[in-house]
Amino acid sequence: MDVSNLLAAQASKFQSVAVEKDTPLDVDAGFLTVTDLNPIDEDSYRSNLEEFLKSTARDGIQALVAALYELPTESSIDGPVTKLPPPTTQLPRAKPLPKPKPPTKWERFAAAKGIQKKRRDRKVWDEEKQEWVNRWGRDGKNKETEDQWIHEVKANADVDFDPVQAARDERKSRVAKNERQRLQNLARAQTAQSEREQRKIELEKTLAATRTSTASMGKFDRKLEGDKKMRGMKRKFDPTEMSAEKEKQASLAVLSQLDGDAKRAKIDKGAGDEVVNVRKAIRAVSKGKGGVVSGREQRKGSKESGKGKRGKR
Amino acid sequence: MLQTVKPKNARSKRALEAREPKEVEDQRKAIFVHGMKTGEVVDKVMKEMMALKQPHAISFSEKNAIRPFEDPSSLEFWAHKNDASMFVISQSTKKRPAGIIIARMFDSKLLDMCELGIERFVSLSEFKTPKSSPGHKPMLHFASELFDTHPRYMQLKSLLMDLFNGEVIDSICLPGLEHVISVTVAPSDASQTSSALPDDTRHEDPKNLPNVHLRTYTVKLTPSGVRIPRVQLTEMGPFVDFSLRRHQEADQDMLKAATKKPKLKRQDIEKGLGKKKKNLEVDQMGDLRGRIHVAKQDLGKLQTRKMKGLKGQSSEGDEGAGTSPDQSEVEDTSPRKRQKRG
Repeated sequence: MDVSNLLAAQASKFQSVAVEKDTPLDVDAGFLTVTDLNPIDEDSYRSNLEEFLKSTARDGIQALVAALYELPTESSIDGPVTKLPPPTTQLPRAKPLPKPKPPTKWERFAAAKGIQKKRRDRKVWDEEKQEWVNRWGRDGKNKETEDQWIHEVKANADVDFDPVQAARDERKSRVAKNERQRLQNLARAQTAQSEREQRKIELEKTLAATRTSTASMGKFDRKLEGDKKMRGMKRKFDPTEMSAEKEKQASLAVLSQLDGDAKRAKIDKGAGDEVVNVRKAIRAVSKGKGGVVSGREQRKGSKESGKGKRGKR
Repeated sequence: MLQTVKPKNARSKRALEAREPKEVEDQRKAIFVHGMKTGEVVDKVMKEMMALKQPHAISFSEKNAIRPFEDPSSLEFWAHKNDASMFVISQSTKKRPAGIIIARMFDSKLLDMCELGIERFVSLSEFKTPKSSPGHKPMLHFASELFDTHPRYMQLKSLLMDLFNGEVIDSICLPGLEHVISVTVAPSDASQTSSALPDDTRHEDPKNLPNVHLRTYTVKLTPSGVRIPRVQLTEMGPFVDFSLRRHQEADQDMLKAATKKPKLKRQDIEKGLGKKKKNLEVDQMGDLRGRIHVAKQDLGKLQTRKMKGLKGQSSEGDEGAGTSPDQSEVEDTSPRKRQKRG
């Protein structure tokens, strides 16, 4: 007669963990949230409210716990922790997404050149002391030259030349340069616009340039609808009378520009049209001394060798 | 508005940096504001809800003359000053007795609000049962089909989730889950569920909306004979029945800005946020693409069409006892077929 009791006790001890619902429960393990989308059973709701709420909650939480126990665990110092998946419910953020930090001038250069960032340790090995010392700061390696007890001074140095002070000044100037560059980067970051804005400004500039590129500076151009009147655009005429010196300068300026173009064309031709780049070839053969100098040297060399031969005989 | 402060020392600099926007955000801090006039019940509800929200709760216990639905400027000021992004405001007026307003902010601007009337309240102290330790994360349970269909209840669910559990965490210690906050909607008339269109709800009388039951329980896990334990719940308190009152929906533009997702770094995707996944990448269309490496194929072992004439030549000697293992693998299918035929 006790057996049935025992069996019942055993059965109640190990109640089923399965939850059966018409609509499967929606579990968001990332937010530890479960949503039961089944309509509320009105009869049980009316008959015993608290009991109904508790049993619904129990079923929901049972499903959530089942989902949580399925997840992979990882051991940590505080015991096993369960890895949670990213949440499926989207909640609005409290603050906007962080804006990416604008790159510094060096970072832009490094990116263009493909230079990898190297991590510098704070400590460096000192061969003399046979220990790790600070790269900078207290007893830093960068103060090595200042701190040494004897200095090499050039013979032609000034009488009042202080090598310690000179080394210190040099270090301080490096620090100042770094600080200056940092501030410049900050200033640049503040004025930095988005790519779209930059493009807009560029477009406006180009448009303004084209509108002033006729002889009348756009006075007789057909106006488009929505075209704004250009501001700060003035035709400027040189005075009809000017000093001879000024006129000469102006003409020479034009001529020099033309000359520049001609030279450039010549250089370009030298570089591009022929199969052999003559300039480059000469530089390579003469080891960077130039054609004339190397020619002179060759001539000299042959004379000398001739002399030598004669001398031997 | 407040001026932007320039930090004067390292400590204040760190404090300011902690307030800057982050990709993965912290738990929302909530300010519990005492309105001009409240009742004893409302005060108790506030106190116990605050206990559930601790340690991310700030109490404004003095009388504050605010009407958030008319002028949210003081909320915005407080949000900025305290770096808080949620508000729970208690208020009791003749027209709307015993009410609390849950407000949510985005970028120190008001995003959305929901006013709840307290219909019934049972305090935590009335249950002589074990309580959860403060600061532990609750499990949330929502029960009703309205949480998926009705905009008012969807908003309420979102607000409550944000208030109690709105933090993205990557891992949790399961024994630390001690309590449950369960939210159930009373059964509604059939006519309401059918007319649950957003246009209707805006002008719908909130008196027709069914009440919401908020219950808190402690969890006890008992062995069940299988790996998953059986859950048992014990009443913890507070128990509150809410009725829905006024609300303010989120501005569309603001909501769009608030639900922007951070671009996950390729590294994070490859890592699978915890799991290591090799040769997986997300392409520009957002599809997950995998790469598989196939070893160089040995064409000698390629199974081609079987012909009687060819078979006799290649495997006449092999049919005997001295078959090498890989050859037998290739020829594996032939005896079976023969058996079938026979």
